[in-house]
Order: sequence, then C-alpha cells, then structure tokens
Amino acid sequence: MNRSQAIASSSVLEQRQIKARNWQSWLLSAPSLFWLILFFAVPYLIVILYSVLTPDIYEVKFAFSLGSYREIFRGTYWIPFFLSFRLALLTTLICLLVGYPVAYLIARSSEKWKNILVVLIIIPFWTNFIIRIFSWRIFLSTNGVMNEVLLALGLISSPLEIIRTDWAVIIVMVYVYLPYMILPLYSVIEKLDFSLLDAAMDLGANERKAFFKVTLPLSREGIFAGSILVFIPALGTYIIPQLMGNQNSLYIGQIITYKIKNIPRNWPIASALSLVMLIIIAAVLLILYAFYRHRQIRKMDEAK
Amino acid sequence: MKPNKIYHNLNLTIFTLVMVFLYIPILILVVFSFNDSKIVANWQGFTFKYYLLLFKNEQIKLAFEHTILIAVSATVVSTALGVLAALGLENKRFTGKKFLTTLVYIPLMMPDILMGVSLALLFNFLRVGTGMVTVFIAHVTFCLSYTVIVIQSRLEGFDNSLVEAAMDLGAKPWLIFWRIKLPLIMPGIVAAALLAFTLSLDDFIVTFFTSGRGFDTLPIYVEGAIRRGTITTINALSTLMIGFTLILVAVTKRVRKFFF
Repeated sequence: MNRSQAIASSSVLEQRQIKARNWQSWLLSAPSLFWLILFFAVPYLIVILYSVLTPDIYEVKFAFSLGSYREIFRGTYWIPFFLSFRLALLTTLICLLVGYPVAYLIARSSEKWKNILVVLIIIPFWTNFIIRIFSWRIFLSTNGVMNEVLLALGLISSPLEIIRTDWAVIIVMVYVYLPYMILPLYSVIEKLDFSLLDAAMDLGANERKAFFKVTLPLSREGIFAGSILVFIPALGTYIIPQLMGNQNSLYIGQIITYKIKNIPRNWPIASALSLVMLIIIAAVLLILYAFYRHRQIRKMDEAK
Repeated sequence: MKPNKIYHNLNLTIFTLVMVFLYIPILILVVFSFNDSKIVANWQGFTFKYYLLLFKNEQIKLAFEHTILIAVSATVVSTALGVLAALGLENKRFTGKKFLTTLVYIPLMMPDILMGVSLALLFNFLRVGTGMVTVFIAHVTFCLSYTVIVIQSRLEGFDNSLVEAAMDLGAKPWLIFWRIKLPLIMPGIVAAALLAFTLSLDDFIVTFFTSGRGFDTLPIYVEGAIRRGTITTINALSTLMIGFTLILVAVTKRVRKFFF
C-alpha cells in the first residue's frame, strides 16, 4: 500500500468514525429533542390553531374565525398591553438603577466578602415566590406594619393607601426581579479590568467621567443580559398585579389568564393575545440585539 | 470629602437599603407566624398555635406531598435527559447541534405564562385530563433547558486527557463513562439537579395552568388561601418553608464539600 492510499483509507476510517459519533449524538439528544418538540414547540402550534377558532363559554368550537384578531386590531386590548409594557420598562429601569451600585459594590469587595454578599442576595430568592408577595401585602396594607411604624414615628398623619395601587405592583416587581439584574451585572463587573479606571483618572478624568467613559461601557453585556432577564418575565406577569394591584388597571397577563380560566372563557382571544406578546418580545430582543451588534461593530471599527 | 469617598458612601447606602428591602418580607413572615391575632397585621402576643393548626390541616399535608413528588420526579427526569443531551452536544460535529441548542435556549426567552397557556391548550387539544401527569410534564419542560445548559457548561471545561489515557490503556467506552466521565461531571449534575428542584418547588404560574382542579401544589394552595382570605396559617407555613430551604442550602454545601 503506498502512502496516498494509506492516507485515503485512514480518512475513510475517520469519516466513518465521525458518522458513528454523529449517530451517537442524535441518539443521546433524542429524548430531549423529542420532549422539547412535543411539549414546547407543538403547544405553540396549538396556540396558533386555537387563535383562529370560534370561542365558546367552556372550550372552543372547531370553526374558523378571525374574530380574535379583529378584536385586537379594533384596539380593545391596547391599554393592558400598554400598561404591561410600561410596567416591564419601569421595572427594568429601576432594577438597573438600584442594582448597578449593588453589583458594583459586591464586585469591588474582597474575595471573602464577595461570596458572602452574593449568597445574601440569593437567599430571599429561595423563599417561595407567592409567599414573598404575600408578605409584602402584610407589610404594605393600610393597617400594615409600614403604616404602623410611620404613624408611630409621626412621619404621616393618616395611613398611606399603597396596597391595591400600581405603586404596590411596581415595588413588588422590583423586589422579585432585582436579583436577576444584580447577578449578571455582578459577573460582568467582577471581570472588569479596574486598572483602566486608574489609567483614566491618571490621565485627568474625574470620577464621573471615568465611570461613564470606562466602567459603564465595559459592563454593557451585563446590562443587556440583566435587562432581558427582567423585562421578559415582567411583561407577562400575572400574579403580582393580581395580588398587589387593583381591578381597574388590568395587565395583559391577567387578561390572558382570565380568558383561559374564568367562565365565560375565550381561548381564541387568549391565544391571539399570547401570540401578540410573543411578537413584542421577539421585537424587543431583535432591537436589543441589533443595538448590541451595532456597538460591537463600531468598537471593531474604532480598533482598526 | 473626596468625590471617591462620596460615591463609595452612596453605593454603601444604596446597598444597605437594598438589603433591608430584600429581607423585610422574610422577617415579617417569621415574626408574624408567632402572632396571636386573627388580623394579620396587628401584634397581639406570642403563640405556637398556627404551627399546631398547620400539622392538623389535611389539605396542606396533601399539597406538600404533591409538591415534593412533582419536584423529585421532575428533577430526576429533567436531569437525566439533560445529561444525555449534554453528552450529545459535546460532539462538535453533531449535525443537530444548532437545532437542539436553539430549542433549549428559546424557552428561557419566554415569560412563564406563555408556557402555561400553550401547555394548557395542548392538553385540551389532546383531551388529556389535567392533574399530576400534566404538572409533571410541564415541570420537566421548564427544567430541561436549565439542566442541559448547566451540565453542558461543565462538559465544556472538561479535560479530555484522562479519557484519552483510559482509551489508550484499552478501557471499554462504558467503563470510561462510569469511572471517569461521570465522576468528573458530577458537580455539574448536582448543580443542575438542585436548580431543577428549586425551580419546581417555586413554580406557580405554569402549575396554575396545568394542574386543573384537585391537584394542588403548595404555591397553588397558598395562592388559593390568600384569595379566600383563610390566611392565618400561611405565615407559619411560610416560615417552615423558609427553614426548609435554608436546611436544603446547608445540606447542599455539605454535599458539595463531600463530593468535590
């Protein structure tokens, strides 16, 4: 056998090995693939199907109808969508403003303190979600702890009516989603090269300038990740406004849930509203991604 | 004062306020679980009676059993599937890599409510009665993405030299898997299982859409109790749950030390 033949046969053998490995991979991933297709992808097809059916009090009538979409385009649900969008945006912004200093402080602590502080941020997170919301009701209610304390201190003359307002919703939203903002910010700031900051200040930049020109741009990835992690679940929130808010300002998550659960049900409209929410999320993600890419490309151009 | 100092103090103030903000609800739950009053908000005196009432409540016992049953089974299945998928994804020339990765990451980009709605409609379409099985399926579905990603990230930092050495010495593939690969990725598997377990314990919204009547988990029971206004025992229940998670965390730390 000459040399080229040997190479050819070894590459045939290699090809065969690659093929066998590929089959093995398909086999190993088959259960997960099957599961995700059947219980994640297919359900969305059902949502699309149900969105063009005729509503019924209990379930659906299998008769084609575009009524749900017509209703949406007529603008019946603009207000809940607007409220949800505003809530998600506000929650994200407040979490960012409050979370950044916290993440920064943790990232600049000593190694020992870093671990302790991160665990301190995570512990409340381990308490059941519903229970944490419930305890905010106790705290904020009209004859609740906060009002008692403020009245006793003489800071207010009559109890503040916070519960059942949008303020209560915002407070609890920030409470629930703050760790989702702090942790990605922390992991990015922690890896930041702080000698750049010193260099900027040596070159005459003041604290504020150094922060806005160096630290903030370098932690952009954490800001994007944190914002996505807060904004998306915030947009679909149901239980927080349900337990803290009032029935005069309904959010889209509440409308969808009512239409699925409460009789008279309307599954087609719930499906169509879910799809609209999906489109909004896709749009927000695309805009963020485009913005992110744009900055990346600009950075590369500057580097040239 | 130097500006440096001012910024640092500002950060420290915000940090302290955030910590107070994060711990207020937990403190309140614990304190008020011992409060001898029908109205939740007023302090009337110390009592253990809600803890006693709690242990007499059959509904809570049942909900607790359901929660643990679902959490354990969903954790086992989603972790096992996650290990297999992560091993499959390890192959860089796997032709389905991109497809599976996309399918794993997309659920993380969706609000829970959409998974709840879509699964509820799927079960209706298939004429499957909602109950334990549907809740189990739903929990595995939202845990799966996390387990795959956690185990995969462990495999990525995997040092292949030990596997190659074993192969050179003539070890069989299954032996290599059991004796070398599995122990090395064990930390990833434990982390994934713990994450799945906590996600399952904590879930409200997906369970709310897929449980139907008669199969309550603890979060579902608590929400119902808040809605009905029968809330006196909830503080005690919450305190026990907080204690339970803290014990779980402590045990985890021990287990981690034992393993790694």
